[in-house]
Order: sequence, then structure tokens, then C-alpha cells
Amino acid sequence: MPEKDRKDPVTGHIEKEVENALTEGLPELPPEEAEALKEKVRRRVREEMAKEAARLAREQRTREKKRQDEEMGEKEEKFERFNRNFRFQHMVLFSSVILLVLTGMPLKFPDFVLSRFLIALWGGIQNSTIVHRIAAGMLIYFMVHHFIYTILTRDGRRDFLLMIPGLQDAKDIRKNIRNFLGKSPDKPSFGRFSYIEKFDYWAVYWGCVIMIGSGLFLWFETEVMRFLPKYAVDMAHEMHSDEALLATLAIVIWHFYNVHFNPDRFPGTLLWWHGQLTEHEMKEEHPLEYEEIMSRRGKESPEVADR
Amino acid sequence: MRKSLMTAAVLLGVALLAAFASDGQALISLEKCTLCHGKPEFRKLLVNGAIRDVFVTGDSLKGSVHEKKVCTDCHFDVSEIPHRERPKRVTCTHCHFKGNKEGAPQSDNVLAYFESAHGKAIAAGNVKAPLCQDCHGDHQILKVKNAGSKVSRGKVAETCGRCHMEIYARFKTSIHGVALEKGIPEAPSCTGCHGEHRIYAHTDPKSTVYPTKVSEQCSKCHASVAIMSKYGIEAEQVATYKESFHGVANQFGSRTVANCSSCHGVHDIRPPEDPLSMVNARNIPATCGKASCHPGATANFAVGKIHVDPKKKEAGIIYWTATFFKYLTIGTMLALIVHIFLDMYGRTRRLRGEQGR
Repeated sequence: MPEKDRKDPVTGHIEKEVENALTEGLPELPPEEAEALKEKVRRRVREEMAKEAARLAREQRTREKKRQDEEMGEKEEKFERFNRNFRFQHMVLFSSVILLVLTGMPLKFPDFVLSRFLIALWGGIQNSTIVHRIAAGMLIYFMVHHFIYTILTRDGRRDFLLMIPGLQDAKDIRKNIRNFLGKSPDKPSFGRFSYIEKFDYWAVYWGCVIMIGSGLFLWFETEVMRFLPKYAVDMAHEMHSDEALLATLAIVIWHFYNVHFNPDRFPGTLLWWHGQLTEHEMKEEHPLEYEEIMSRRGKESPEVADR
Repeated sequence: MRKSLMTAAVLLGVALLAAFASDGQALISLEKCTLCHGKPEFRKLLVNGAIRDVFVTGDSLKGSVHEKKVCTDCHFDVSEIPHRERPKRVTCTHCHFKGNKEGAPQSDNVLAYFESAHGKAIAAGNVKAPLCQDCHGDHQILKVKNAGSKVSRGKVAETCGRCHMEIYARFKTSIHGVALEKGIPEAPSCTGCHGEHRIYAHTDPKSTVYPTKVSEQCSKCHASVAIMSKYGIEAEQVATYKESFHGVANQFGSRTVANCSSCHGVHDIRPPEDPLSMVNARNIPATCGKASCHPGATANFAVGKIHVDPKKKEAGIIYWTATFFKYLTIGTMLALIVHIFLDMYGRTRRLRGEQGR
């Protein structure tokens, strides 16, 4: 009972004080009644003290656990999933898409209750169209940046090649769905990019091509109509409007579920900010990539040892 | 018996006397005025050489709504004959006010008039601005429903045209003017779009033809299948406009974006087949290419339907684009949502399984 020993002096002191106060305060009561009252007060004080001691102990335990977790977390190796360049691209992309959706969707749904507010937010339609074009400029910049990144950097080239969908992805989908339905216990083991991430990547590719292409038609319609008939611009308008809806829905439902609302991630991850995955997450979500990294290290380490 | 007969006789006598008296007064008054005004050669030569016709006879009011009135009922400032000064302009509100004893019809139109562009001009001291009588007529005021009235559907344009001459000339040859001439019952005259007493300048947000309200005004007739089908005109033009960028931006309060009249014209609207029409294929480059709209517009602006509805097969390639995206969106989203639900289902199963263990 080391705990009790440690606490005893304090408890004893308090109890003595209570005892003194009680004897001083109850001189004219008959001794039996005074004794009963004293006993009651003593019991109550002991109860309260026991409670307080338990609370302190609980707090101590949680503090220690947290510290241990933190130590563990710091010790656990971090894997850089997205490099600084890629994170910057993603930030440009999502800022521009948010602005584009906020200024574009009211035009598709002018009767929606928020539409009027969203346009008034920029000071009217004259300004919101300018904001839309600025955001469009950001998206075009992102596209160009990403092209250059894909061609000129080693990470970009490697990621692009890994993004190409293959037969394995179809197998993974099948395996994953069988697992969801409980027909098979094993989950597909993904490499650097799962089929979900590949879909996201190519959806953005397709979306950017359609949106930027048709958007430029609408932006420079007079110039375009120097060479093409009006129905080409009308077609671009239709594509712009429809693909905008598809992209928005895909982002808000699919992408948000996968990065924000699914129980593993809720309420979101800071991966887009620090770009790092923990070893645990790495093993869980990208086991093949993890193995590859480990085996590469295994090959490298003898060399290191030789030096 | 005798008593009641006597009473009847007395009553009759009083009634007759009263009738004679009032009739006599009216006759006297009229006669006094027509002493001078009844002569066709009685005219006033103005300083600038113009001649003012002041010829009035006992028949001047005949048939009008004021048939029973006499000169001084309206020209009440004439108190001696011959009058020394020119009588003031007649003020209709002398009788036409709420609760008047004459039983003159009264509506709030007169108040609306004072708010209107015309009323404001009068108040600002513009002597050329119209008062009631300038539109409704002076001595021959008829009810609006009467085809002969100056403010009847058939004649009101001419009445407005007395001041707004150039506009009247343009309107008369426009499709609306021609239709009105033909007696087509739905054809709009000036008041059809501008309103009657509540006429405001088109730059005034209260105006029915303010840039953001034009489409609403046109849609009163042009969105009505009942009216448009009679004349073989499409009734979807307003709906397609409202879905277009022009229409949406207009709805959000843009005054620079095109409304109906920016392309079709204002008073000179003509059918697209008319070579003078602003929306004739040959004129479209000029119409779309206005300096503030799409400068440099080419003939390609006219290739393809303007009021295109992507939901209709007639839209051709635009319809197919819309259809492709419709099924692409439905298909993709369905697949993604199914995947999400399967994922959640799998997670739930795993949780239950772990709990069971």
C-alpha cells in the first residue's frame, strides 16, 4: 500500500483539524449526540477525500499514457507520401476549385436559396465572374505546373507511371468488394496508389481537360467563333455546366468521404499539409509500398555498413 | 284622397321646376360661352404666329363621359364673360378625388401618375409634360373600352406618338405595331409594356422596362403557349433565355448583360425573317458585336440556334452532349456511392465481428 502511506500524513492532518473543530463547536450537546454527529462528519470527510484521491490518480494515469503515446508517435517512423512540390500543387488545386465552385454553381442553380448570397458575397455578378476567371487562371497554372512536374522531376515521373491503371486494379476492386460483403476475409494490399486514388487522379485529369477546354471557349467566345460556329460554344457551355456538377459531386461525396468522413480519418487528415504517413498507416494502407521501401533499405544497408 | 293628390302635384311641380332650373342654367352657360367660342372664325393669333383654335359648340361634349357637364364645371376659374385672362389648364382632380359628391369615378391612378415620369416632369415645371387631358382627350373623353377613345388599345400609340414621334414611327412598322393595326387582340401597344399611369424612365428601377425586368415584361405574352401557339411563335424563348448566361446574369442584377430587347430591339422589334430585323441572320454580327457586348462578332454567331434548349432533341449535338454527361454523371456517382455504402457496410461488419470475438 505505498499509495496509502504517501497520502496518510495529509489525511491525518485534515482529520485532526476536523476533530478539533468538532470538539470546539459542540460543547453544550449531550455526549451521545455529539459523538453521532462527529462520526457522521468524519465519514463524509473520508468519503470526499477518497473521491479526490481517485480523481487525481486517474488524471495522473491519462497524463502518463498521453506522454507515452507521444513518445511512441515520435519514435514511429514517418514516411513522406507527398513531397513539398506536390502538396503545393494540391493546395493551388483545391483553392481554385473552391473558388470556382462558389462562383460557378450559383449560375447553374440561380434559384437555389444560397445562390443570391454567394454572388452578392463578391459584390455582384460583375465581380464574381472576375473571381471565377482568376480561379480559372489558378487551375490552368496548376495544370501546367503538374505537367512540368510530371516530366521534369523523378518523383513526378515515378508517380505518373504508378498512376496508370492496370489489371491489378480490377482485381483489387473485386477483392475489396468481396471483403466488404464478407465473402472473403482478406483485403487487397495496395501499392503506392490504390484504385481509389487512381480514380481521383484521373478524374481530376479528365475534369481539368474538360473544364479548362470548355471554359476557355466561353472565356474567349468571340475569338473562338471566328473559326467555329455558335453551336460549338453552346456545346462547350453545356459541357462546362455538366462536368462542373459531376466534378463537384465527386469531390464532395467521394473525395470527402475518403479523406474526411470515413471512420479511419474523421474528421479529416492533415496529410495535405505535412505530407507524412506513420509507419502504422503505411502498413495499413499501402502495404506493398511499405514492403518495397523496406526491401530497398535491406539492400542498401549492407553498403552503408561496408563504408 | 285630396290631400294625397295635392302632395303628389306639389312634389311633381317641385321636381319639374328643379329640372327646368338646372337645364336652363346649363343652356344659359353654354349659350354665353358659345356666343364667342361658337363661331368657327373665332381664333386667337399667338405672338409666334401660330393660331390657337378655340372653337367650341354645344355639341363639343356630346357623347363623351362628361356629356352632362357644362363649360364652367371644368373651366371653373372663368367667373366673368368675356374672361380677361386665358383660363388655367383644367385640373381633373377638382372632381376626381376620393369621396367626391359629383360621383366622378376615382382611382389611385392619379396618385400613380404623380409618381411617374410624366408627373415628375410636370412637378419639375416642364410645361410640355402631359396632364390627364393630354392623353385622355379634352372635350371628347370616352371610356377606355370605347374604340374611339384616345387611350383605347387601338389609339393609345397614336396618342403617345403626338409627343414621342420618332418612337411612334418605329413602333408603327414593328411587328407589334403591324399586329395592332391588323386588330390582333393580344398585340401590345405602348401601355402593354410601359404601363399606363405608372410610366417610368427605362433607367428607373421601378420601370417595367428596366433592364432586369424586360424579360418578365415580354414573358407576360411570349411565355404563354395559349397566346403564342395562335401565331406560330415558340413560347420557350423566355425559358431558354433565363437558363442562358445572359438570363442568369440578368437575374443576378447585371444591367450590362443582354436582355430581350438588347438583341430584338425595343420599339422596332421585327420577326427574324425580316431583313430589317436585328436578329435576322445577316444582322446578327452587328447586333451581337455592339461595342459593349461582343465586339468583333462574326457571321458564326448566327450558325446554330440562339434560344437553344439542350433538353430537346432539336438541339442536335448540344442535346447529345447533355445526354452523354447526364448518364456519365448518374453512372459515375451511382458507382461511387455504392462503393461508399459497401465500404461502410464492411466496416460495420468488421466492428460487429470484433465485438463478438
